[in-house]
Amino acid sequence: MQNTETTLDRRAMLASMGAFALGGLRCAPAMAAPLHMRTVPATGEALPAIGMGSWITFNVGEDPALRAERAKVLEAFFARGGTLIDSSPMYGSSEAVIGHCLDALDRPPAFAATKVWTWLTMNGPDQMETSRGLWGVDRFDLMQIHNLVSWEGHLETLREDKAEGRIRYIGVTTSHGRRHDELEAIMESEAIDFVQLTYNVTDRAAEERLLPLAADRGIAVIVNRPFRGGGLFDALERTPLPGWADEIDAANWAQIFLKFIVSHPAVTCAIPATSRVDHMHENMGALTGALPDAGLRRRMIRDIEAL
Amino acid sequence: MLPFTGPVYFSLLASYNADLWPAQIFAYGLAIVALAMACRPFPGSGRAVSALLAASWIAIGLAFHLDRFAGITFAAPAYGALFILQGLLFLWTGTARGAFRIGLRSDTTGLAGLALAIYALTLYPLAAWLQGHGWPMTPLVGLSGAPTTIFTIGLLLLGRGRIPYHLLAIPVLWSLIAGAHAAVLGIAEDIALPLAGLGGLAFAFRRNLAARRAERRARQTG
Repeated sequence: MQNTETTLDRRAMLASMGAFALGGLRCAPAMAAPLHMRTVPATGEALPAIGMGSWITFNVGEDPALRAERAKVLEAFFARGGTLIDSSPMYGSSEAVIGHCLDALDRPPAFAATKVWTWLTMNGPDQMETSRGLWGVDRFDLMQIHNLVSWEGHLETLREDKAEGRIRYIGVTTSHGRRHDELEAIMESEAIDFVQLTYNVTDRAAEERLLPLAADRGIAVIVNRPFRGGGLFDALERTPLPGWADEIDAANWAQIFLKFIVSHPAVTCAIPATSRVDHMHENMGALTGALPDAGLRRRMIRDIEAL
Repeated sequence: MLPFTGPVYFSLLASYNADLWPAQIFAYGLAIVALAMACRPFPGSGRAVSALLAASWIAIGLAFHLDRFAGITFAAPAYGALFILQGLLFLWTGTARGAFRIGLRSDTTGLAGLALAIYALTLYPLAAWLQGHGWPMTPLVGLSGAPTTIFTIGLLLLGRGRIPYHLLAIPVLWSLIAGAHAAVLGIAEDIALPLAGLGGLAFAFRRNLAARRAERRARQTG
């Protein structure tokens, strides 16, 4: 996976400066700091190494106050240079809320990723049409088959959709380390652009076969559950940052966890989810500054497991 | 893992309650009538109580689970189907066939049933209020699943003779599902749910065992 750096565009930079001025956030970025970018092997398109997930966090139903709060979270995400937003029809009202927030912010998603999640292949097109309506987009950049549900049938549909321009990339997802054997078989035999899987400093099963295979086959990798569903924070929130945090310019545990993930050469993008603006700034802080090398990654694993 | 948080759930409940207002007064009144019929039974009171409980379960299945809860959780259609099925079971077993006879007995099971029904009507909303879930976030008997489940288990324990297990199955199952939800979301007032469900099942088992022994004795002596 080719790693590149880019800088915040003018709009994003001004927004970041605004966030810094308003909040005095300790994790506000160094101005015009280069962002960690990764390329999608299928096309060479550049993506920021941190995206945004929406499981639980954007499922706020019709509540106008909660929707307004999420719009601020999304605004912060864009301001810090984020592009990839990931959701699913399985996530309750998340797609509708993302669409509402995009409308409120008056900007289209730079990279819209969602999933098809239905056992009946024939229902897939209608579900994806509904998702386009909820997001307010004409096409999705990435359409993924959620948790391998009826993947054979959906894959045929997605190939047709890609050929007809309704989607740009095809992906397959899993989470919680489940069904890696089946995902591996799909990656070996099918032409797909993305996989999404769980990988973090304590859940590293993907390192054995899936991440090397993705690199070999030219498949982009989106990483879900980067904080283990918040479990890593629960375990370490009262623990001082290790001394090596300064070596990777990490100001908090979120940036440590995310920098561990995106420093793996096969990873394209991690998608932490949050409902808070300050946490979004913390997450997006991992897009800048030094990343751990192989030696420090080994030390991070050793030290964090010891904690 | 649930796809929503506690504040989102209570926001949904507040919106649901506000939109249905003042139906809660009507539903609450019918629940008190049902409890009164259980305490002062008359011919056909079992059929009437079954019809009221059926209306409540079907209403919650349609109005809450299928119409509202489905907006934030993919499992809601299954929950809605369970509630509607429970309503149909009450209609068939209790109202159509008259196989659920009601009437307060002063045995342990009957008193436990009375306690659960009164708890659902009074202490449950009070506990919710104390937990910061005052009106319109308060789940109320008749139109919200948790207190209606406790109330239903209570009324089933007020049945005469054997308590039909198939009428108890879904309320007990829901007490466990909703209790698990409550544990994840930190809803303290719903901690009583699994206790009511499992306790109700134990009391029903005890009652039915005693009824079976009594029937056997009657056959032997007869």
